[in-house]
Amino acid sequence: MPPGRLHPISVAIREIADIFGAMGFSLKYGPELDDDWHNFTALNVPEHHPARDMQDTFWTKEQDPRVPRTHTTSVSIRCLEEMARTGQTSMRAIAPAKVFRNEATDMTHEAQFYQLDGFAVGPDITLAHLKGTFDRFYREYFGPDAQVRFRPSFFPFTEPSVEVDMWFQAPGKEGRWLEMAGAGMLHPNVLRNAGLDPDKVQGFAFGGGIERLLMVKYGIPDVRLFHNGETRFVHGFEETTI
Amino acid sequence: MKVSRTWLQKHFKEPLPDTAALAEALTFHAFEIEEYDEDMLDVKVLPDRAAYALSHRGIAGELSAILNIPLSYDQFAEPAPSFPTTDKLEVTGDTAYVIRHTGALIRGVKVGPSPDWLKQSLESAGQRSINNVVDALNCVMLAMGQPSGAFDAGKLETDNGVVRIDIREARAGEKIKVLTGEEYELAPGMYVFTDAVGGGLLDIAGIKGGLASGVTEATTDLFVSAGTYTPELIRRASQSLKLFTDASMRYQNRPSPELTAYGMKHLIDLITSVAGGELVGVVDFYPSPEATPSPVRLTVGTINEKLGSSFSKEEILDAFQRLNLTVEQEGSAFIVTPPFVRRDIVIPEDLVEEVGRILGYDRVLPVELPPAPEAPDLARHCGIERVKDVLIERGFTEISTPSFAATGDILLANPLQSEKPYLRADLAGNMKEAIARAALVAPRVLGPTPDVRLFEIGTVFEKDGERLSLALGYAPVVGKKKAVLADILAELSILLNLTGSPDESVLELPLGEADLEKLGAEYEPRKVSLTKYKPFSVYPFATRDIAVWTPEGTEESEVLALILKEAGDLLARIDQFDRFEKEGKISFAFRLVFESFEKTLADTDLDPIMERITTALNGREGWQVR
Repeated sequence: MPPGRLHPISVAIREIADIFGAMGFSLKYGPELDDDWHNFTALNVPEHHPARDMQDTFWTKEQDPRVPRTHTTSVSIRCLEEMARTGQTSMRAIAPAKVFRNEATDMTHEAQFYQLDGFAVGPDITLAHLKGTFDRFYREYFGPDAQVRFRPSFFPFTEPSVEVDMWFQAPGKEGRWLEMAGAGMLHPNVLRNAGLDPDKVQGFAFGGGIERLLMVKYGIPDVRLFHNGETRFVHGFEETTI
Repeated sequence: MKVSRTWLQKHFKEPLPDTAALAEALTFHAFEIEEYDEDMLDVKVLPDRAAYALSHRGIAGELSAILNIPLSYDQFAEPAPSFPTTDKLEVTGDTAYVIRHTGALIRGVKVGPSPDWLKQSLESAGQRSINNVVDALNCVMLAMGQPSGAFDAGKLETDNGVVRIDIREARAGEKIKVLTGEEYELAPGMYVFTDAVGGGLLDIAGIKGGLASGVTEATTDLFVSAGTYTPELIRRASQSLKLFTDASMRYQNRPSPELTAYGMKHLIDLITSVAGGELVGVVDFYPSPEATPSPVRLTVGTINEKLGSSFSKEEILDAFQRLNLTVEQEGSAFIVTPPFVRRDIVIPEDLVEEVGRILGYDRVLPVELPPAPEAPDLARHCGIERVKDVLIERGFTEISTPSFAATGDILLANPLQSEKPYLRADLAGNMKEAIARAALVAPRVLGPTPDVRLFEIGTVFEKDGERLSLALGYAPVVGKKKAVLADILAELSILLNLTGSPDESVLELPLGEADLEKLGAEYEPRKVSLTKYKPFSVYPFATRDIAVWTPEGTEESEVLALILKEAGDLLARIDQFDRFEKEGKISFAFRLVFESFEKTLADTDLDPIMERITTALNGREGWQVR
């Protein structure tokens, strides 16, 4: 029997773990079905705040409704809580894992997808480090020509907040800027909610779709191909072991 | 929000650049632009800035700061307008809901079409003209972000000539027909404007006006209303009614209560100018005036230490001044007081963002992180990937399937598909479907294969919690069924210290119970690179077999080359599945898989191809298709 194939999401997560691992990031896990606190409130998204509309959310039908996490930022806040509990002053982690959004699906939208969320916190971590981190990640993942730029944005859990664009040139095509992730400097309220002192530590956080990375890198036309159990998709690539 | 360059230009003496340049300026310093044309820009204002920027004044202020061109006139720099009061109007409100309400009586208006300039202004911002009074309200909202309402005061009952309005909580079962004709049933937690004398409902406060008291051609006297309401309550009411309006959207983002006075001034001026009439007076209900924004203190160091930038004191001061913020300096510190509309500036980080975006994030240069104090922890990841590598080596292919299911323990309140309202309680259900489909497409995906083998690692959700699960699927394609699942279980039992019992085609194991950290402690996952994605057709594939006798010494590649030459573009894959020698001849057998991206292939498509191949093979000396 010839060997089987790894799903492209796993291929990406291995590469991501390698690249971020080399920059000192651990890979962390958290629940897919989470409470309101870790998905929203601790992240500076109070109940009845308009920012809740930014992510279409599923809720469970329970006495205390829970949320299939809308981002793996819920893992990041748990790490920050752990940091406060254990008295650490710096930490770096990524959480590449499944998230859920209650939105109509099309070629670029799925109700379930994988998100690469991550953060670096320490006494003197800056927005310039965020740019440096993405610069290196994209160059190692997409190739040496990849470039990064920031545009202003808003996320409740970061201040300042930016959109991360990447310059990418697919072979034989014209280069262009692609919207890849959201990011920023962790909001002092988030650090406080985790039990950290924003006067002592600061840091950046980011989040973006993993399918998006793969779609750009391998020319995959439709995000709905990823999670429907289709073997023709998994075998749609030639695979080589490096 | 759609804004018009022509409208924005009214805020500046200097000519603005074209919309492409405005779009670029806003994109890199303020907001995403959804689209733009010669005059219109659709600006995506996010919740943090919605309180001040959902207006032409707001966007003009941004452009003034970004492009460093002064506003020709700033109405918000003037002291709050004052008005003649009146005893002909009384407004009271539930202070749980009403933060501020500024109401006016205007008599003797003539409702009719708007002048062209007003119609054109509204149209340039994507709104339709209705009549001069309604257009005036919309114009003020688009100009400065203050929503408002106008009611036919002639339809309100009076008490000794006094119009009394009460803004109160709705009672269960109260109904109101809104301006667009739909009827809404209200409930406590929602708030309404009522005619306190006659008792009628005028308006779902801050959300939408009622039809009964609406302005018509016959209206001559107006009650004009501009308010600020508790954002959380208005948001809840809007959500439970599923009624989202330009007004409710603005109110839920807590615009400054100071704005109602400026809005009312603009409303009165505009209504009396386009519809005539005379102001009777204004009454202001503002039980507990809110403090104006407090000064925020920060230093050059604060800014550069967050951004990792090296902005100078002068540049930072310039950015603050361009943003119309009042700045005092105290040594190396800035004490910054935002104008009343900028309620988003509360903490130093808010100002760090203002400096970063106005001076430009392109000036924040990438810096590599310092070395991490500790080695990263990747053990669990490596443990999980190790399990995958073991399975892949044994011929299993990884799949990913949806987490929503037809049955399960955890029900969603708002599922995407009503037939899959649960979170999956196992992976086996999806695996059964996937393995059956994989067997059907095996000839296309794997070529001749005795069986198909799949696995998935994913989270399942049960009453007592979620856990990581591993499912394995097996289906024979040709030949006898083998004990593939039992064999792999034996191997995994040792590796993972787990037990399970496979059924015919699926085995599920509680992977989360294994010591994955230990498993991954020393393991480095296999590194894999992929080529570009090659899509498959949504139309079914078709297979054809061909076998040919060839003379001794014939290579497989020779036969293959000949077939490929004749097979054409529809051939998706070809595999040799048999070869034997007999009496000095060699027989090669190939399976051809055809697929079209345009249609389901029929015999009439494939027979001619197979004939061409047969003819070509038989054309060789000593070759004979069997």
